[in-house]
Amino acid sequence: MTRRSGFAVFFAAIGALVVVGIVLTILARPAAVSGAGAAASDAVSSYSVTAGTDACGSGWGGAARQVPGGEQSFTVTNGTVAGIEVYLQAVSTKKVYLDLESIGAGAHAAARIALGSGRYRFVCLPADADPVTGPTVAVGAAPAGTQLTPGIVPVTRNDLIPVAKAYGNWLASRIPVLQQQIARLDDDTAEGDPAGAKRDWLTAHLTYETMGAAYGAFGDLDATIDGSPASGRTALNDPDLTGFHRVEALLWSGAPADAVRAAVAPLAQAVGQLATVFSDAEIDPLDIGLRAHEIVENAIQFEMTGERDAGSGTTLATVDANLSGAAQALQPLTGILRSRYDDLDATTAALASSARLIESFRSADGTWTPLSALTRTERERIDASLDATVELLAPVAAICDIRREA
Amino acid sequence: MTEPAKTSTGVGRRAFMGAALGAGIGAGVASAALAAGLGTDAAMAATDGEATPSASSTAPHSSFPFHGRHQQGILTPAQRASAFVALDVTAADRTELADLLRTITDRARFVTTGGTPPDPGLAAPPRDSGILGASIVPDGLTVTVSAGASLFDERFGLASVKPARLRTMEDFANDALRRETCDGDLLLQICANDRDSVTHALREITRATRGGMQVRWRQDGFASPPRPSGTPRNLMGFKDGTSNPDVTDAATMAALVWAKNTAPEPGWVAGGSYHVVRLIRMLVEFWDRVNLHEQENMIGRRRDSGAPLTASHEFDDPHYELDPTGDVIQMDAHIRLANPRTSATADQRMLRRAYNYDSGLDSNGNLDMGLIFTAFNSDLERQFATVQRRLADEPLTDYVSPFGGGYYFALPGARDKTDWLGRTMLA
Repeated sequence: MTRRSGFAVFFAAIGALVVVGIVLTILARPAAVSGAGAAASDAVSSYSVTAGTDACGSGWGGAARQVPGGEQSFTVTNGTVAGIEVYLQAVSTKKVYLDLESIGAGAHAAARIALGSGRYRFVCLPADADPVTGPTVAVGAAPAGTQLTPGIVPVTRNDLIPVAKAYGNWLASRIPVLQQQIARLDDDTAEGDPAGAKRDWLTAHLTYETMGAAYGAFGDLDATIDGSPASGRTALNDPDLTGFHRVEALLWSGAPADAVRAAVAPLAQAVGQLATVFSDAEIDPLDIGLRAHEIVENAIQFEMTGERDAGSGTTLATVDANLSGAAQALQPLTGILRSRYDDLDATTAALASSARLIESFRSADGTWTPLSALTRTERERIDASLDATVELLAPVAAICDIRREA
Repeated sequence: MTEPAKTSTGVGRRAFMGAALGAGIGAGVASAALAAGLGTDAAMAATDGEATPSASSTAPHSSFPFHGRHQQGILTPAQRASAFVALDVTAADRTELADLLRTITDRARFVTTGGTPPDPGLAAPPRDSGILGASIVPDGLTVTVSAGASLFDERFGLASVKPARLRTMEDFANDALRRETCDGDLLLQICANDRDSVTHALREITRATRGGMQVRWRQDGFASPPRPSGTPRNLMGFKDGTSNPDVTDAATMAALVWAKNTAPEPGWVAGGSYHVVRLIRMLVEFWDRVNLHEQENMIGRRRDSGAPLTASHEFDDPHYELDPTGDVIQMDAHIRLANPRTSATADQRMLRRAYNYDSGLDSNGNLDMGLIFTAFNSDLERQFATVQRRLADEPLTDYVSPFGGGYYFALPGARDKTDWLGRTMLA
């Protein structure tokens, strides 16, 4: 079969699918409306739209190139022979209101959004070709009370490269500090000062915990530096465990200095490796938004459950460092988020107020209240504060998901 | 958010009751349905099914109107699935508490009404968990919001408007209360035809209120279908709820369920109800080793039919006056102590709306299951507390162990889409 005839067969099939799709849409609507009990359903306009490189967005707007505002229900069909991504974009602002990613060849994707008055168009983004813009459609005013879908200008890789660089520079600047703090931990241990060593351990551990190692950002080195014991083992009896929690278990169980130093050595070595690896590595721009969100997710999942504590009772100190780390990851994103995230100020405020609350459990002598000593009310206040904070951080990752410019 | 096309204002429940009653009369079992108190939709399904082999007309109700003088989930026939979720409020002050209650109301209104959650665009994760699909169907969902005694402490300046009878649930004679599964500032009673709708509602409400409240304890329950007919059975094998008052009788409900807004009660309580929840472990392994005769004597009813021992059918009157010394139904039988059926105790009756729970294992390997006893009262002291004290040391106490729950006050209903639960309490 020639390439062209193949296309003809393909498009005939697409045509049939579109017809079927329309029929199904029509048939399905009354049932969907009564089942959902949604009054606004009768105000939904349904469109079968074709996404392609020749024509993008046909099926929406008709010859008049205008549609009523409000709820728009789309069934977008990829009319090409490869994967495609489709935006629905405001022409003047380039804000995108709908992003259907990864529609397979010939496949449909459904979406339902609410648009207000303005001029919009579809943009089709084939995987290996330049974006194709569709005709501009004038959308009328939405019915009163419609909750409009928010639009944002997509964040591109280029937008995030300087952010990742700035964050990477900050991270790199912390590594020598961490190395000095670990050296001091070794010194105080060698000098037979376990109280000093404990303070040094906490200082160094908190430095590392601000660095946002969530979700394996430092790869295998993180497991060596800050790993957890194997299933069924504790930090004290897992022979394969290295890093901060191994040292913690030894220090707080009163192990002899030699044993502690033997555990500090591989920690120091791994951090040294991190310095080498990191100096010529870059933070993936994709990671930066994820980190800002996931550092706090990890704090809730692994720290606030107490499972990482190996005897020091400094979980809240760790969470405080994590909050500081999340703020560090968020800070260079401010410029990108300012125009895209209405709750940005609320997010930074939530990080700050969570940190203030956590720090109220540090006493004047620098010791921290262990999780087990929190009253129920205290625990609920902390959980509520972290939960509210992480809900606010979640959109940061969604917004900073790298998208193509169009 | 969209309003449902077919939301009627306040008549839905009445219309439903009318229909249920009509079916009952048509089937010639009106008296049975009335005596059963229509405590559960399953009970009604059974009464109908008993007389009419085709039970297709008894499908669970699809939705209940959210707005009204009273909240749903009180007189509403018990749906099959439930979650009882007690929460502590972490909101900092009265303003934040009002925001919290507005948000709970808004989310409860949406999940009980149904509709399509708005698309968040590119800028946020999906607005809805998606576990009910792209559009939410109500699925007979009700969300009942109640306030615990601790909400009326110094934090929110509510001490002066505390419902007069509301207090921290006391330890009764045979209780083994674990305070971590008791009390709480708020209680959400979430009920629906299907389990996933309950879970969906809980996730949507907690997600929208993360900073304002934290779950203190929760217990999920289920209502059994009629086996084979009549009132559903509890996990001791006995029908539970047979003598409930008639929810279609407005005067009875006014007397037994709805709080009075006369002194000493604050005015805002009108339309609300004292909501008692008791988590009662049933020691079922032990119970199953007890002779049927002894079981029936402790309860006062036949296990199979649910009939009082003095009579033949489930809904028969036990006629204690004909058994004054307890020859047939012993004086300390559960049903006799709980409801002696005298004129002096008539106003002690309450509306029960119990669920079974089945939750895993005890440390000794025994099954952890039992009853989520739930009752609505006009006057907590006159009704539940009085009856519970009378039940002290009844023979049944050897086989049950109340370990959790609490006293709450079911807030008056939200009147319309601009209203919110607790508005009058905070006014």
